[in-house]
Amino acid sequence: MRVSSGSRGETQKPERRVSRRRLFELTAAAALTLGGLAAAVRTHGYAVPVGRRLVATSPWQFIVLQHAARRIAAPDREGAAAIPTVPTADDLDVAGFVDGWLVRMQPGVRRDFGRFLAYVEHVAPLREGLVTRFSRLAPPEQDRVLAATEASSSDLLRAGFDGLKSLCMMGYYRDARAWSLVGYDGPLVGRPPSGWSGG
Amino acid sequence: MTGAIVLGRDLTGDQVLVVDAVVVGTGAGGSIALRELARAGLDVVALEEGPYLTPRDFNQREDEMIPRLFQDAGGRATEDLGIRVLQGRGVGGSTIHNTNLCKRTPDAILELWARKYGVAGASAADLQAAFETIERDLSVSEIPAALRNANNDVLRAGCEALGWRGAQLHHNRNGCQQSGFCELGCAYDAKQNALKVVLPQALEAGARVYADVEAVRIVHDGARVVGVHAVARDADGGPRGAVNVWAKVVVLAASAVGSAALARRSGLPDPNQQLGRGLRMHPGAAVAGRFDRDIRGWRGIPQSFECTEHLSHEEGSDERVWIVPAFAHPVGSAATLPGFGAAHMAAMRAYPRLAVMTAVVHDETRGEVDVDGEGNPIVRYVMSERDRGQLAKGLVACARLLLAAGALEVTIPAIPRVRVTRASELDGLDTSALRPHSVPLTAVHPMGTLRMGEDPKISVVRSTGEHHQLRGLFVADGSLFPTSIGVPPQISIYAFAQHLAPHIIERAR
Repeated sequence: MRVSSGSRGETQKPERRVSRRRLFELTAAAALTLGGLAAAVRTHGYAVPVGRRLVATSPWQFIVLQHAARRIAAPDREGAAAIPTVPTADDLDVAGFVDGWLVRMQPGVRRDFGRFLAYVEHVAPLREGLVTRFSRLAPPEQDRVLAATEASSSDLLRAGFDGLKSLCMMGYYRDARAWSLVGYDGPLVGRPPSGWSGG
Repeated sequence: MTGAIVLGRDLTGDQVLVVDAVVVGTGAGGSIALRELARAGLDVVALEEGPYLTPRDFNQREDEMIPRLFQDAGGRATEDLGIRVLQGRGVGGSTIHNTNLCKRTPDAILELWARKYGVAGASAADLQAAFETIERDLSVSEIPAALRNANNDVLRAGCEALGWRGAQLHHNRNGCQQSGFCELGCAYDAKQNALKVVLPQALEAGARVYADVEAVRIVHDGARVVGVHAVARDADGGPRGAVNVWAKVVVLAASAVGSAALARRSGLPDPNQQLGRGLRMHPGAAVAGRFDRDIRGWRGIPQSFECTEHLSHEEGSDERVWIVPAFAHPVGSAATLPGFGAAHMAAMRAYPRLAVMTAVVHDETRGEVDVDGEGNPIVRYVMSERDRGQLAKGLVACARLLLAAGALEVTIPAIPRVRVTRASELDGLDTSALRPHSVPLTAVHPMGTLRMGEDPKISVVRSTGEHHQLRGLFVADGSLFPTSIGVPPQISIYAFAQHLAPHIIERAR
């Protein structure tokens, strides 16, 4: 990286040489493309719940989103430490929320997000030595794939995971049932003013 | 003439307006330009791409307010996705969601602009009257210590324990209920901002504001501006009709991203390729400390105390970090805390006991605003090594402050995450991972894309705010600033618009 010391206000440009970092980015871009190609032909076997009307995602994207949200946004209720009072991502319809939210995003952002979901579904498992689609993996293996993506050496993939996680967290923590878990008392509008002790 | 707010959704058919001046954007700069033009007796309209919302609309819910108050539903980011760029939209602009911090442009910055960037007539003395006017109009005052919440008390305690420089901040609130929902719009109308104070004054003087009307292109003949082409939007964002405004003065005040994007897609003369260049953003990142007591940082005034131990406004300084509290509501906190799943939930369960500080870089990096094939803004910004160093320094400083204030454990949300319990662990810390893409970065202060100055080779507009090549085109927002200012920019933007208004009025007569 160069830092201009002049006062001419030029935009700084990344170095052009193909660095190791750049190679990682090219690999990530290729992986995203590969995922997109795979997603284009491997569209069978994705059953959206009856009555679900999708507004921004395709059926396969929604299913991947649903599986990812279950691992990202809520604690594990399948193990010994299960906490029945904690709502799952499905209880709060996190995937449905994200599907609706994506409508507000620019078309280019939606397209990139779809490519990232394709990467998660078809390519990320392979990088972990798993030959099964993400949505058909067992939860611990899904966690492994997501953790590897979160810690990827590729800025692009980490940014994709960050976007996915942010949307899932928005879908989960928008709900009052999640607020009580973390001690948050929610909006004050509509409540009596402080010091008010009743009529 | 009677002022009014006109909603794009209420317009029927295409509109043609012939006025003296049109202002694009209604935030800090746009509202002042609009007010001063109207007070001068000129026929003036403002175009605002966002909605007109009032305090009863601000319901304090993140999922509902973020898409209404922020560009791209809060999802705007740099092209490489390394930095989230939070920018407001709607009547009142970013003054609706900001945290009301009021600091004048530092003298050292104004001197630098005069010395190195050829800005004339903008010394501290030149701007004194404008700052005084704005501070009076917005009821600027020091935030009383009694209103400092526990999160801000942590910062003050950290500064005291380390002997670091810190001070109480100033704000523009009256009747604050200390709800803590400033960033989602004030439901109690306590913010003395563009929406509450300045725009009503503009309307009273006869100005008209068109909400949900997006400026698409500045119309010009290569030597002077002649108007703005805009499109009115339905409630769902769909186009409703054209709004063509003909005027001899156009004022750009749609932010350093919005104004530059509009200028670029309008094909303005740019012989020295300066347009859109020089973007600064004050990028910042947060550090969380877990305490053994409740902090409940989401309640109360979010930012009332600052640490300036590592902040100098002198050119070339290696102390360019401003530290302030930065507590978020659950959605924002959950997105920032590292990890996912059960471990993440465990961290979130400590939410009431967390204190959060943010390190904001007074940046030297020069980014750029461009547009894509559809005219949407592209924000290019690759943080320089020097600024990365400042970011790392700031994050470590936040960690020291939190530990000094009594935090049991401090987390810097990097990949891999940094978790420490003693200050000594910070001494030999490898800070190479404290950089964009490893640390979640946010920028809320874009500046510098249509810089002012007398030399057209290094600036886009004159020191009067008027474009070097296009007569009648003015800029009145943070785009003007030749460099980062290293303080929250709202007061500077209001004041520069006030300061430049006589030049705009003269041209519009």
